[in-house]
Amino acid sequence: MDRVTIAAPLHVPRPAGPWHGVRENLSQLGNALVYTTWSEWLPSVLTTPRLRQLLGPDWDRYRRTPDAAVRYRFAAARLLIKYTAAAALDTPPEYLDLAYRLAGRPYLRGFDQIELSLSHTGDVLAVGLSRTGRIGVDVEPADRFVRLDLLRRQILTPVEEQEIAELPESRRGPHVLRLWTLKEAYSKALGQGLRLGFKQFGFSTEGRLRAPDGSSATRGEWGFDTYPVMERYLLSVACHDAGLNTAGDTSVETMLDRGFLSAMAQPPADGAGSAGRP
Amino acid sequence: MTTFANPDGRAGRHRTGIWDDGEPEHAVHLEAALGDPFDPDNPHGHQALLHADDAREVPAATEELLTRAGLAAEFVPHDVGGRLTDLERLARVLRPVFRRDLALGYGFGVTSLFAASSVWTAGDERQRRALARVLLDGGRVSIVHREVAHANAILRNELRAVPAPGGYLLNGRKDAVINADRTDVFVAYARTSAEDGPGSHSVLLLGAEPVRSGEVRRLERVLTPGMRGAHFTGLALLDVFLPESAVVGAVGDGVTLALRSFQISHCLVPGIVLAGVDGVLRQAVRAATENRPGGQPARRWHRALAGVFADLLACDAMAVTGLRALSLVPQDAYLLAAAVKYTMPDLLREDLEDLAAVLGARGYDRGPLYGGFQKLARDLPVAGLGHSGTAVCQAVLVPQLPALARTAWFRTPEPPAELFRPGAPLPAFDHRRLTHSGTDDLLTATLIGVAERLGAQPPEGPQHAALAALARTFVEELRVLRARCAALPVSGSTAFDPQACALADRYALVLAAAACLGVWEAQSGGDSFLSRPAWAVLALSRIGRRLGAPVPDLPPGLEAEVLAEVLERSLRRRSLDLYGTELAG
Repeated sequence: MDRVTIAAPLHVPRPAGPWHGVRENLSQLGNALVYTTWSEWLPSVLTTPRLRQLLGPDWDRYRRTPDAAVRYRFAAARLLIKYTAAAALDTPPEYLDLAYRLAGRPYLRGFDQIELSLSHTGDVLAVGLSRTGRIGVDVEPADRFVRLDLLRRQILTPVEEQEIAELPESRRGPHVLRLWTLKEAYSKALGQGLRLGFKQFGFSTEGRLRAPDGSSATRGEWGFDTYPVMERYLLSVACHDAGLNTAGDTSVETMLDRGFLSAMAQPPADGAGSAGRP
Repeated sequence: MTTFANPDGRAGRHRTGIWDDGEPEHAVHLEAALGDPFDPDNPHGHQALLHADDAREVPAATEELLTRAGLAAEFVPHDVGGRLTDLERLARVLRPVFRRDLALGYGFGVTSLFAASSVWTAGDERQRRALARVLLDGGRVSIVHREVAHANAILRNELRAVPAPGGYLLNGRKDAVINADRTDVFVAYARTSAEDGPGSHSVLLLGAEPVRSGEVRRLERVLTPGMRGAHFTGLALLDVFLPESAVVGAVGDGVTLALRSFQISHCLVPGIVLAGVDGVLRQAVRAATENRPGGQPARRWHRALAGVFADLLACDAMAVTGLRALSLVPQDAYLLAAAVKYTMPDLLREDLEDLAAVLGARGYDRGPLYGGFQKLARDLPVAGLGHSGTAVCQAVLVPQLPALARTAWFRTPEPPAELFRPGAPLPAFDHRRLTHSGTDDLLTATLIGVAERLGAQPPEGPQHAALAALARTFVEELRVLRARCAALPVSGSTAFDPQACALADRYALVLAAAACLGVWEAQSGGDSFLSRPAWAVLALSRIGRRLGAPVPDLPPGLEAEVLAEVLERSLRRRSLDLYGTELAG
């Protein structure tokens, strides 16, 4: 089995794209990452006549949000998810029903060829798509001040603490921040958010998932990576490969088997299975 | 709370439901023979199964045990010498295996039944007897699928059969066929017509008799991240001659035969893989109650433990109703079969992730107590076949939606009550009666019927009132679906409206709720856990939230009641499904 390779993040400044890189990464690597700033997508939120259709069941939440900045960022993030997914599925974005699992993870109802994850902080929005399995993304400001003493107690395994103690002081903060974003991304991939105890699992310095005692926790079915974005953010990604070697084609139009569809459209004349009937 | 009354007095048996006639003897025997899964010295326990998985080997000693126990006879219909009489019984017999190891169950395994099903459905007497012989003699049968849309490794590529004097020549390759390296018998879905359409493929039985000419070549084994020990192997056929008598059913029947016979795997897969999640939920209970005062888990885990249990009961209610439907109403089972396979494997994966949070670091343990978790997390996505598997179910559901909305919903009369009585006797299952064309929708009729009856009674308390309100919510959802699906274009072709995919998802969740209500109502009147409304309220509120429907808060104490049952059953070593079966560990 090939190791999971995480695609490099692509900047998509507006709903019009460019989207070809997303399709290409998804087809070739099995995953794709997109980022933008919500201010870039704001004009579309403000001007599209189809905002209500595009938000679907999220329209009520949008309308109920009193703070304008929060409301617009919420809408921009939903538009980003829908347009990104629409590019992958080759279908109009307003046809997509963005639904939420019980624990809050978003998914596309009826289209399980794609899994997705959203993260935002400050003015940046990031979406991850995968056709191989679960995906989680987390974006944080790269210069975020990290209180080592606090985080040590809350998120680090004993082995991670040990490894950090061995690093030169200047590298400790960035390393902890990277661990933090990786843990957030993994937790989001499992749809668990903060329910997953961050001291209950760890990452090696090369970014591989480990049990708290440092032993390897998986057999290569997960891939992790961290990218700098816009020179001031860190974007971490956790992506699962369920190993089914899924089709590179994720479009809606081709997803239902024509043989089955045509047989369902023309049931046997006697209303029952005919062959072999006693 | 006493749930485990033993009114029939038989040792080692109990009845959770009022209809259950007790665990099938073969299931009791298998559970005892496989022994305590958590005992590190048990050659069939988790430790041994994990070792085999690590080494990418089949657990040979346990396969040997299953062979000795005659498990393969369970896949062979009664009239050709086997023990397959009804599929609910089969699921119960298989649960002891699947509770321990999905890959073992598939590899040993149940994939032989999936392959054989089209022969049981449409094969002639000679083919049925030949295949029965193979299985009863300890052999295996593998299915060689045709290539379906958005195919994954298991479904990609296909065989072609072209006419030759006296028969057909088969050519082509397949990347990953389970057990291809350890069987000579294949049920092949081969293309027999260049044209796409309902008559494009035929089913051929290969290897039940020696192949006269050509070559059946095994290619490399495919190492999969899930079901690591199972033997997925590439297969290539080079000018393999098969006589006309190898055709199962008629030439061109392949696509419809798949639609008819896949109903068995569609109901059976959720009905057996849930046993694996049952095992992990018991591990999570152990992790959450270890060293806790009074054996009570911390407050923050109550929701996950009770919720996953409610989901397991919902999955079982839907799967068992489907399995019973195949015996009781085979002409109308196909919608439910597609819906349960579409909905439940995904829901069970979500449950495993909830349990990952409860297990914490123990979830990465490789020992006998918790090691089964990571293995199941790897195996479960393979069992459902992912998107390719759901797309097959969508191809059944999506084209039916406009007709269902116009002619079935709110019109079909209610099905017989026996449908919802897990464990109650069933008429013999007859593969040949499976169809994919019934125009009624039984489960929606049950939903409407139960909702009306609940609404007509004065509520017996807040839990009944909550159940009545939830039932109304789902009826309302069906009403909305009727309006939206009736507006979909009816096409006699292969075109479909993309929005129908989301509607089919919603419809399948409505059927899940209907199955829960049907099973609950059939049990009500007694004083067992299943006859009280708590589990059904929790299950329906979770399904409702998945629909994005407005779901009221749970009545006080309801979650605690469901949690108490899951703790009690775990303590008493009872399965966390509809049957509450006694377990070996």
